[in-house]
Parts: sequence; structure tokens; C-alpha cells
Amino acid sequence: MLLMFDDKHKNHLSFLTDIDISVLQEFCKISIEFIKKGANTKVYQSAAQKLGVSAETVQNGVEGLMYLLTESSKLMINEIDFQDSILTLGFSEEMRQALLELYLDRRKEVRAILNQMSMELPHYHNLEWRFDVELASRSLRHQVTPTVTMKLHTEENGTTSTQVLQTDPTNLVHLTSVLEEALQEIKSPYCRRIVRNIK
Amino acid sequence: MELSQSILDGLTLAGETSHIPDKCFSVLVTRAFDGILDERHKQLIAKDPSFRSLDQAVVKEAYYSMVALVSEASKHDLDINSISSVLEECKYTNERIDVFNKVFTSKKPLMQILLSSVGTSPPHIVDVNWRLDYYIKNNHMERVNEAVYLIELKTEVPGTSETKDVQFSCTQEQLQDLVGKLKDACKCLEKISQM
Repeated sequence: MLLMFDDKHKNHLSFLTDIDISVLQEFCKISIEFIKKGANTKVYQSAAQKLGVSAETVQNGVEGLMYLLTESSKLMINEIDFQDSILTLGFSEEMRQALLELYLDRRKEVRAILNQMSMELPHYHNLEWRFDVELASRSLRHQVTPTVTMKLHTEENGTTSTQVLQTDPTNLVHLTSVLEEALQEIKSPYCRRIVRNIK
Repeated sequence: MELSQSILDGLTLAGETSHIPDKCFSVLVTRAFDGILDERHKQLIAKDPSFRSLDQAVVKEAYYSMVALVSEASKHDLDINSISSVLEECKYTNERIDVFNKVFTSKKPLMQILLSSVGTSPPHIVDVNWRLDYYIKNNHMERVNEAVYLIELKTEVPGTSETKDVQFSCTQEQLQDLVGKLKDACKCLEKISQM
């Protein structure tokens, strides 16, 4: 799969084609920082002064580079496709190599950051359990009722919430057997076939 | 078991043949139990033909004292001797004590089951549903390709008749962790039950 760039992007990135390779690497670092923490206008100002161009050009260059990185990480394109995609932008052989290295090094990080942006369901974090025997309550004395009290920790978007739940021995055994079945299902030939074919 | 004076007075009233004749007494005792055990039988005593000829105020007092005795006795898990001594203090004849004891022994387990469900507890898990999805992509990222389980625990909350659901997702490793912990709990249960 190849990345498509429209003219605006090509324009922004064209500024980067005439610079030194070391400057390009600086720009790569700045765009990674942009992805992680957001824009840093002071850096743009100082870079613009050093290179003798306007701050806006610098910003466009950084954003163009960032777009290149995020799109390629999002689509998980392989080396060959990445190289083919940047061929049309007018970078020299050396620069293309540097960009490829940058992409391969930082791909996982960028994907992790993109992951944080996507929708998340409350997911399981931990389960604590304990075994109790209820001896009496206000409405009935002389009881011997076994119960299992559990605390379920779930996490959503960084916040953990806990819930106290209860069950009796029969339901505990039932719960365990049903969930074990669920776990076995993913190892079944059918699921394996689907997983293999969707890659 | 402590019963208030008004209840003891009412019990004495229920024991007197002049107020509650013998054949009405066993009906009174049975109604007292059934009124608690089944919602639909609560008001039946008002329409019962056996009590129509009697003074309604007396019937009412006798009924509520009987209900109080029945629930307190079940709550404290009293045996026949303790109840017999309470009834003897209220000047009951031996036949009436026997009638009461017979109904009491047959209905006590049901009363206790009902009483044990009264009270608060955390949501009680009764069932679990699961679903296995394959997460392919989202609008920020493609080629995610992960297997995700969606688990739904059905719980009953005392006091409401509907089940409340607890939903969460987990990956294969997280589900393995969860199942491991549940299996530990089951093993612990087995060991305890064998002691």
C-alpha cells in the first residue's frame, strides 16, 4: 500500500529536501517531540533563524514530517512501500535512508500514542477474592451460609474503578467453567484459521 | 427471644377458647405462616369464612401476635421446647401447643429461607455471558489485529427483581489471569469442604 500525498503536503515537505542531512535529523527529532507532547513554537523560531527562513515554513516542514510518520505508522506499511511512497517527494538517497530508519525505529511508539486516542472499553485489571461464612443477620440467626466475596478492578482511560461482588460456591464453579470454555475457544481450529487469514 | 407485653397479651387472647374456638385455631396458625410466606395470602385472613362469626378486633389482635411469634421463633431458630414454654406461660392448653408445634416444624425451614434473603449484600453473581471479537482496526489505527473478549456478569441486587450487569473487556492474557484466580478460589473451596 502506498501513501498518497496531496500538493499541499508536497509543498511543505519540499522545503526539507534542500537542507543538510544533520538538519533533517534535527527535524525528525522535533517532529517526534511534536507527536509526543505537542507543538513547541520556540524551537521553530530558533530553527527558522538558523536556516534563514520564516517560522511558518519550519512549522509546515515539521507538520509534514509528522503527517508522514503518523500515516505510515497507522497503516503499518512495510519498508518497500514506505520507500516507494517517499520517492516522489524529491529527497536524496541518503535522506530517504534516514527517514526509513526513523520510521522503523519510532513506529511502535507512534502506534502506542495513536492507541491512546482510540476508544477504550473498561477492561479487566485485577480480581481479589475471599471466602466468608455468614453466621447471622438482623433477620435470621444461626446461619451457616458460605459466600465468596470478590473485588473486581477495572481500568478505563487510566482510571481504575473497583466493584465489590458476591457469589456462592455453586455459581463460582459455574463461572469458572464457563470462562474456561471461553478461553479454550480462541485456541480452536476455527479461530486460528480466521486469525491467520485476516493478517 | 423477647416478646413485648402487647404481643404476649394477644397470644393469650388467641389461646382462649372463648375468643378463638378450637377449630378456628389451627386455621389461624396456618394463616399466620402463609401470610408471611406468600405475598398473595397476606390479606386472606380478612376474608376467611371461619372467622366471620367472631369479633374482628379479637381476630386482628390474635393474628398479629401469632405472626410476631412465628417470625421471631423462626429468626432465633427455637426448638419445640422453648416455644412450648412460651405458649405455656400464655396459658395454652396442650392440644393447642401441639397444633402449633406441628405447623411450626413443617413451615420453619421455609420461613428461614425467606428470612435469609432479607437484608443487604453486594450484587450477587448468578450468570456470565462472554463474546469473542477480533479487533481489526479503528479510526485512528489500522492493522490492530487483536483478539478481545467481552465479558458480562449478571448480578442480582437484593431488593430489585431485575438483574444488573457488569461488563468489561479483556485480552487473552487478562482472561487467563482471571480464570487462574477463579480456579484458585475453587480449589480453596474444595479443600475447605473436605475438612
